[in-house]
Amino acid sequence: MGQFPQLNHEDIAHLNVVMHQFLEKSEANIALLVEKAGYLIHQCGSQEAIDTTTFATLGSNAYNAVQFMAQLVNESNFTSMYQQGENFSTLMLNVDENSLLVIVFPTHLTVGSMKYYATPAAKSIAERIGVATVRSPGLGIDFSDLNPADVQSALFEKKKE
Amino acid sequence: MAIINQATKELQVKIVYYGPAKSGKTTNLEQLHRNVQVPDTASKGKLTSLATSSDRTLFFDFFPLETIAIKGFKTKFALFTVPGQVIYNATRQIVLRGVDGIVFVADSEYDKMEENLETFKHLEENLKTLNLNLADIPCVMQYNKRDRPEVAPVEYLDFLLNNRDVQLPTFEASASKCEGVFETLNMITRMLLHKFLNDGVRK
Repeated sequence: MGQFPQLNHEDIAHLNVVMHQFLEKSEANIALLVEKAGYLIHQCGSQEAIDTTTFATLGSNAYNAVQFMAQLVNESNFTSMYQQGENFSTLMLNVDENSLLVIVFPTHLTVGSMKYYATPAAKSIAERIGVATVRSPGLGIDFSDLNPADVQSALFEKKKE
Repeated sequence: MAIINQATKELQVKIVYYGPAKSGKTTNLEQLHRNVQVPDTASKGKLTSLATSSDRTLFFDFFPLETIAIKGFKTKFALFTVPGQVIYNATRQIVLRGVDGIVFVADSEYDKMEENLETFKHLEENLKTLNLNLADIPCVMQYNKRDRPEVAPVEYLDFLLNNRDVQLPTFEASASKCEGVFETLNMITRMLLHKFLNDGVRK
């Protein structure tokens, strides 16, 4: 299992264009790029109404659970997951080894049309992540000028009663 | 493994609370959610619990928490619990994916020692299935339920659960009273940040 690479401004700009174009073409409401450990990497669309951080985490874990089920039946091709609702539906689509695209769309749109537009978007996103991986496979943040004494202090405090 | 977003200057870190059934993992997150002091409402996310009808964790609990920037980076801690019941071991493996730090919540009561040991063994095995090694991951041991009448001495818990060359930091706690909860979280976050200082976020 590889590591999700470090993204820079150009990467995010690329993802932004691809995901916005996808939303325009598909008429979906929200597109989230989610790392499979549950991290929300990037979001586009009208996400004000929902807690996208939690949505991303729930989505990734649900997707991972389905992958686990796939292993149990020796199936290697559970690459997407679809849930139909009364007003909104969701589609989770594999992007690459480490990430997936979580889409929220109105139920009157078909999952087929979502897949039609999302598949090339996911491919483009995967290619960009591949570029980022090649660019900086081992590059971490340089924390060398961080004062270790700062780390010793408690980051989280209990509310005063 | 931690995620760095240079564009938004964010560092995202995953901490998993692991331990036997009813040891107090969910209580730890509930107390943190209820009592943590935050500069603004956006710093504290919702506590999401996927539980059974009898309030036992079915999949996981999730609580996102942000804190002061590290060298200009907003640091987002994603706190998870795993289900304690053995039948949900597959679920534990799913939640452990991409873990950066672990809090092992042990039940201090005498009659829970076997469960503590078995769960710790499962933790090591589950990490191996993910090609991870506990020795490489910051881990804190919390001896919870110290307020109960029939608890084992800390020395005995250390002997059973922390008998290794490099001992894990341990904390006594009574999570239901919010004692030892913040100390545990602050230690695991401090260990993670020190690891990042020493190694860089990614090797």
